Amino acid sequence: MKSHRLNRRTVLRGAGVALGLPFLDCMVGAQSKQAAPRRFCALYFPYGVSLPDKDSEHPEWRWFPEGGERDFRFTKTLEVLEPLRHDITILQGLSHPQCRDMGAHDTADTFLTGSKLAGKFLKNTVSVDQVLAASIGHNTRHPSLVLSTDGGVGEPTRASTLSFNENGHPIPSLHSPRTVFERLFGASDDLQTEGRRLHSSASMLDRIVGHSKELRRDLGAQDKVKLDEYLEAVRQIEQRVERSQAWLETPRPELTDEDRELLHLNSDDEAPKELMRTMYDLIYLAFRTDSTRVATYQIGSMGDFSSKAGKFPQLLGFAGTLHNLAHDWTEPGGVVNLGKWDRYMAGEFGAFLERLRSTPEGDGNLLDNTLIFYGSSNSQTHNNSNYPLILGGGRGMGMQPGRYLQFGAETPLSNLFTTVLDRLEVPTEGFSDSTGEMSELYG
Amino acid sequence: MIQLDNLSENLVEDRRDAGIWRNILNKLRRGEMPPEGAPHPGSEERDHAVAVLQSAVERALEERRSTDGRTVLRRLNRTEYQNTMTDLLGYEMDYARDIPPEALSRDGFRNNASSLRMTAVQLEYFLEAARKGLDRVIVAGPPPIVSFRFNFTESNLNRWLLREEQIAKNVVGRMDAFLGHMNPAYPEEGEFVVKVTAAAELKPGKGSPIMQVSVGYRPDTEILFRTAGTVELTSEELQTFEFRGYMENFPQPVRGQIKFSGLVVRVTNVYDDGTPRPKLQSRKKEKGQRRRKQFYPEEPDYPKVRVERVTLDGPVYDAWPPEHHRRILFDSELRETDPRAYVREVLARFLTRAQRRPPEPEEVTRYVEFFESQEANFPVFEERMRETLAMVLISPEFLCLMEPKSEERRPLDAWELASRLSCFLWSTMPDEELLALAETGKLLDPEILGSHVDRMIRDERASRFVDEFFGSWIYLEAMDKVAVDPYYYPGFNENLKTQIHDETRHFLLELLRDDLSTTNLIDSDFLMLNETMARHYGIEGVSGSAFRRVALDPASPRGGLLTQTSLLMGNSTGEDSHPIKRAVWVRKRLLDDPPPPPPANVPELDSESPEFAGLSVREQLRQHRQQASCAVCHVDIDPWGVAFEHFDAIGQWRDDIRRLRARPPVKPVGPERKKEEEVFPLEFDLLPVDAQETLPDGTEIGGVDDLRDYLLGPRREDFARTTVVKLLAYSLGRSLEFTDQPEVDRLTAGFLENDLKLRTLVREVVKSDLFLTK
Repeated sequence: MKSHRLNRRTVLRGAGVALGLPFLDCMVGAQSKQAAPRRFCALYFPYGVSLPDKDSEHPEWRWFPEGGERDFRFTKTLEVLEPLRHDITILQGLSHPQCRDMGAHDTADTFLTGSKLAGKFLKNTVSVDQVLAASIGHNTRHPSLVLSTDGGVGEPTRASTLSFNENGHPIPSLHSPRTVFERLFGASDDLQTEGRRLHSSASMLDRIVGHSKELRRDLGAQDKVKLDEYLEAVRQIEQRVERSQAWLETPRPELTDEDRELLHLNSDDEAPKELMRTMYDLIYLAFRTDSTRVATYQIGSMGDFSSKAGKFPQLLGFAGTLHNLAHDWTEPGGVVNLGKWDRYMAGEFGAFLERLRSTPEGDGNLLDNTLIFYGSSNSQTHNNSNYPLILGGGRGMGMQPGRYLQFGAETPLSNLFTTVLDRLEVPTEGFSDSTGEMSELYG
Repeated sequence: MIQLDNLSENLVEDRRDAGIWRNILNKLRRGEMPPEGAPHPGSEERDHAVAVLQSAVERALEERRSTDGRTVLRRLNRTEYQNTMTDLLGYEMDYARDIPPEALSRDGFRNNASSLRMTAVQLEYFLEAARKGLDRVIVAGPPPIVSFRFNFTESNLNRWLLREEQIAKNVVGRMDAFLGHMNPAYPEEGEFVVKVTAAAELKPGKGSPIMQVSVGYRPDTEILFRTAGTVELTSEELQTFEFRGYMENFPQPVRGQIKFSGLVVRVTNVYDDGTPRPKLQSRKKEKGQRRRKQFYPEEPDYPKVRVERVTLDGPVYDAWPPEHHRRILFDSELRETDPRAYVREVLARFLTRAQRRPPEPEEVTRYVEFFESQEANFPVFEERMRETLAMVLISPEFLCLMEPKSEERRPLDAWELASRLSCFLWSTMPDEELLALAETGKLLDPEILGSHVDRMIRDERASRFVDEFFGSWIYLEAMDKVAVDPYYYPGFNENLKTQIHDETRHFLLELLRDDLSTTNLIDSDFLMLNETMARHYGIEGVSGSAFRRVALDPASPRGGLLTQTSLLMGNSTGEDSHPIKRAVWVRKRLLDDPPPPPPANVPELDSESPEFAGLSVREQLRQHRQQASCAVCHVDIDPWGVAFEHFDAIGQWRDDIRRLRARPPVKPVGPERKKEEEVFPLEFDLLPVDAQETLPDGTEIGGVDDLRDYLLGPRREDFARTTVVKLLAYSLGRSLEFTDQPEVDRLTAGFLENDLKLRTLVREVVKSDLFLTK
């Protein structure tokens, strides 16, 4: 009996039609080994949140919920997330131990790396999303998507990117929705340059292999073995180059008109609401079309004077810049002002989760197959412990969301990253200073 | 306890047992087994047993490791790659930035041809580095239109760091700086020149100030600077100093950064007189101020750098295109009259230097063909050339020392010899002189070869030989792995660490350049010291930052490498000495006779007992040896390290061992931090030093002097042999084998006869068959 299971790429190449179909239901069969793709997304905002004492004047604007593991009650800040209650886990008490005595505004760099910036040149280490990208990135056109409001890499201690490669070097982030769109769904200029170098590399390597075969004849037995090592390395690079070239030739995914209408591709930092929503939407579409499975979005950097996100609250009618709102929580009414902003941010985050949740995928939905990590690297500003954190989604990966978990200082945040790596099927012995997995997440 | 009859006889496959057999062999040879009191075999019997065991062990070792006594195809290691790229392209850059460091081979070196691997990741980095470098070296376009000239006669930047009311000054002490702020426009690319006109303000009883010039910026709470140059100012007369660099190699801020925008050229004073640095003080808060202003107190008696003027010019170029471009794309009419021939000539010349020998015509053709095939892809000539040259820089002929036709042993030709020689002594490609001698074949003449060895040793690049060969041999990097405890050694700082490293480097350089006896490693009548290190050792009368030869008092316990801080510190815990590490160092590094590793089931010491914990490490070891299973190895380990007990973790002499009674609590983080810190009293218990021990053969070692006598007396030959073996392994890029023994014997005999002179040995190694043969 002929199977109706489709191999996605075969269909698409053969038909020459729109690519990047969402993972179709008909691809799930009893004998199918094709499971739903697993994804990770990290979202960051700077300077922490409003955290008045429980016995102060406005405890209702305390970011963390009240109550216990399952019977928790959101305060005014996070009550906007009530409809998503069963798909998120609030985490309290976590931080990166090595970053605790860093300058508080230096910690955006280390949110996803867990290391203290080292030495005269403030060197960082690899971020968890890049470990993921290195392992699963070959499945998609883009191994990862690195976004921010400010773009580029920023400066050490004031990075404008969340992602760092295996040598600890920052990965440039994209900040313009239009550029991101072109990268994902259009024909971007970069492709031209990329293509040229790839072509040249392919030709180079091919010639080297050919020549080396001649060279080899002239060598003694032991030297041949060594040269073979070299040739093996060349062949592996050739394969990578071929793969990259194949992607270049593959048509990009198409979007529906509905999708396009919602995107505000011309929005910039003067229109924060549209900008944030569009960036969130682009991540959603990138996931939906399986253009990537790893994404990071630094919504604001810690450069208080230079981050474009600094003025977002003011532009939206809130009481001050990001930095001032955060610092002025001790002033009269400060807690309320900051709390309202926290709530706004949580609302935008919730809308993103809702979009993922309402898109079916396999037996569940996109959110079930994605781990979303949202938070900051200060609790109150200038305090590098007790980060405000939410982990959303992942039900389809064995996670048990819908709880409020509290941790002590002895649990490194990297334990959560170890679990993320494990859930995304990356063989790992840990990440940064982790002591094991965060088994509490499994319920 | 070892049951001999349970030991495997297959010494090739069963490594652990092979190691035990080897150990047994050593003990038999030295008469340490059977132990005293047990029945002894007759000497004939014993000798026979030794001979049988010896040959079995050696045969097995050889078989396992054998490369048949030849160096296999060897790639440039990280250091050699970095130096070669810099010399080949004539452009300074961190080419090896992303290339992971190599692991140490069995012999302890990083240039062992068998151990050096080539992976896809490394090859990709090599390609990336080649492209990046060539993008800078070969320019495509007109010269930069805008050039900048900045001229500062005083600092134009204040409030450099948040809390300090620090007014940047012209007279710079150790806590100040002269700051030239360049904003909003400054050169971002190309070569720049900084000229500083300054003089010293000398103070009686102190050394000269040391001026450091750097370029960088401030992201926010931290500052990011790279040094352009450092110079000691000995005169109170104004002088102008020039420093150069490439902007691309320096930290630069992001454009549009508002808070601390711009680039800064900075002059600081890095002279360290050894006194504790002043602490921040606070002024009384004035009305309306949010925070108290803080400042560093003046230090009127501190030598200062008086800056009169700082200029920065960039981008600078003597000609356009720059020298590094023209060296490859040389000026020639051919470029117009016969472009194909021009390309061919350019490639032929580049290949000669890159491959370290002239290419065959077919080889050049290959690259010309690639060049031409890329015309559609890279229509711009210079871009196409960059890609072609990048291909050269990832070819095996560049990345490896090619010695083809290697089925049989054969003598090296002059080109191959030049490459081996320059890698050996300079960790880079041959220079023009060596290449010229290779071309005429004259390098093969032993006289000429010997004279060039001398030339190369006198050259400044020989410092790489010191770093790579000696540094690895004596494992100098151990000192970087030790965290010196600030409670035990509050005066210790990063600057001191650099000086400690430099002391040993200068000592080894002196050994090499002055053709001194290698026995100086064990005992010397001098040290290489500067003001800081002399102060560290309590030696008076040395001032200035330059290292120079200082004669030691005959009564001094110091001398040689053994009592230099770098080693003592590297083999310490950061708080206290580490007699075992020091013992292993002596046996492994100086005698090539490392003790066997501890067995898997090493018994627990009773470390719970407070009495035990209160003993000095040396006393703990002595108790430890009361267990027979520990004693069997430790009787021949402990004495070698206990001899150093009078030296603490930072290499200073001590008559008592200090032990901190209680550690201060860890500082809290967060809001707690703002509260005033309590002063925690540091109290030390004192334990007596006992540096006396006995070796298994009965020799009493009462301290470092006795150890020296023993090493240079009964163990002199072992030490000489070790030196020869290590030097050979490094020079050849391989481990030594059975078949090398005759040469090792010959060179060792010669070495001993020549009073173990180092430079002479280097010359002999280069002239030996082993070095001259593939």
